Amino acid sequence: MWFKKRNILTIILLSIFIYFSMKLTEFDITKFRDFRNMIDFMAQWFPINFSNLSGIVMDTLQTLAMAFLGSLLGLLIALPISFIAARNTSPSPIIYHFWRVFLSFIRSIPEIVFGLILLTALGLGPFPAVIAIMLHNIGVLGKLISELIEAADPGPQEAMKAVGAKGWIVSLFSILPQIWPNVLSHYFYRFEVAIRTSLILGFIGGGGIGQRLFNDFKTFQYQSVSLDVLIIMIMVIIVDFFGGYIRNKVI
Amino acid sequence: MIEMNNVSVRYPGAKHDALSDIDLTFEKGDFICILGKSGAGKSTFIRCINGLQELTQGEVKLDGKQISNMSEEQLRQVRLEMGMVFQHFNLIPRMSVIQNVLTGIFGYRSNVKNLLGLFSADELEQAKRVISEVGLSDMMDRRVERLSGGQKQRVGIARAIVQRPRILLGDEPVASLDPGTSNHIFTLLKEMHQRLGLLTIINVHDIGLAKRYATRLLALKDGKLIFDGNPEEFTESYYEETYESPDNLLT
Repeated sequence: MWFKKRNILTIILLSIFIYFSMKLTEFDITKFRDFRNMIDFMAQWFPINFSNLSGIVMDTLQTLAMAFLGSLLGLLIALPISFIAARNTSPSPIIYHFWRVFLSFIRSIPEIVFGLILLTALGLGPFPAVIAIMLHNIGVLGKLISELIEAADPGPQEAMKAVGAKGWIVSLFSILPQIWPNVLSHYFYRFEVAIRTSLILGFIGGGGIGQRLFNDFKTFQYQSVSLDVLIIMIMVIIVDFFGGYIRNKVI
Repeated sequence: MIEMNNVSVRYPGAKHDALSDIDLTFEKGDFICILGKSGAGKSTFIRCINGLQELTQGEVKLDGKQISNMSEEQLRQVRLEMGMVFQHFNLIPRMSVIQNVLTGIFGYRSNVKNLLGLFSADELEQAKRVISEVGLSDMMDRRVERLSGGQKQRVGIARAIVQRPRILLGDEPVASLDPGTSNHIFTLLKEMHQRLGLLTIINVHDIGLAKRYATRLLALKDGKLIFDGNPEEFTESYYEETYESPDNLLT
């Protein structure tokens, strides 16, 4: 009664995918019998060593700054590109296709690859990480915003044309106010993602709390690792809270 | 003032003309209402006049100058002389009444000034005067989303009037409003029309409104002009011809 042929087929296919994925990832529940190792290891994290607190907080602020700057610069560059990469506002189909392909291209390169490449030119530190986050976000936000532009109500655009407004001011005034809440929403989401990314970029020498976490780990400073992790968790929760608050304010 | 010669429009992929062989001239001072069912070609007709709709055939002239093959810049100059109001108002969301009205003079100003919102005392004075003429002086700074339908259309009219047009076009300006409000909006349109000595051309569903306000009536059916004359001459039989549908024929 509830199950049709198609559902059964879906379930069979899914089961096959799950089986092979488990094979490929060496997924094996019985490995958890060495569970005690983990507990012994975690025990070394305590008591938490608070002596580095001020340094950790500074590094956390650096991570936040990397994520904020990288994603905001990404947004500022992506916004104008979005208008020429949207079908309805692009000056010509060739330009539209060119920028869409360009956006897919930079989006397909993970931040860590940008980071590894940029390190060679810019040296270690947070600056190459900011540029890496910016480049990737140009690709992501550019695509998302150009899709918002394509879905915008054409009514105000027609009205702006009818008053005889010229050129880009038509698109800017008739589209940007409409899509603004969604642009901000996408931006805050990308900012949150950028925080996680900048942690990873810290592992390859990008500075911030990520780098400190990595170094503490590699030098067996587990009582500092626990504080690093705690501060990261607090940071993520605070950012999450603020993101939600600002989004509500704007929408 | 406006001359339409042999104008036809066919949308890509359509079997029939949306507008078929229209020959008309309009003179200053006339308040023209266009009647017709949905899909009869009224919107297409209005859009041909200010070049929002391209013609498949024929020509539209303003003061003897053909607008159908004008460059974008020439067309913009023509549109400066034509104000337009819309069924769905097409205001800029998230902006206030006065900000919306000021977009009406965008075509006369540099885009840098438009972007930065630099308006002369004179321009601000004009905008405020028009806003008080449409009866919204105590809502000048209110965001347009917070207005009622009738108030939104008043903003739409103010935006068209501040443009100092010679011609006022209306694409179903009262189709989304209740009968009482529709009447107020038409009174306002007529008032502006008379005081500024405009040529006004408006699509309307409501035959009562059309007969009450129009000095000249047109009726379209399946893209063809089936009536052109005084409102008194628009008799019951024309009414039936304009609005007859397969449903009516059955009864």
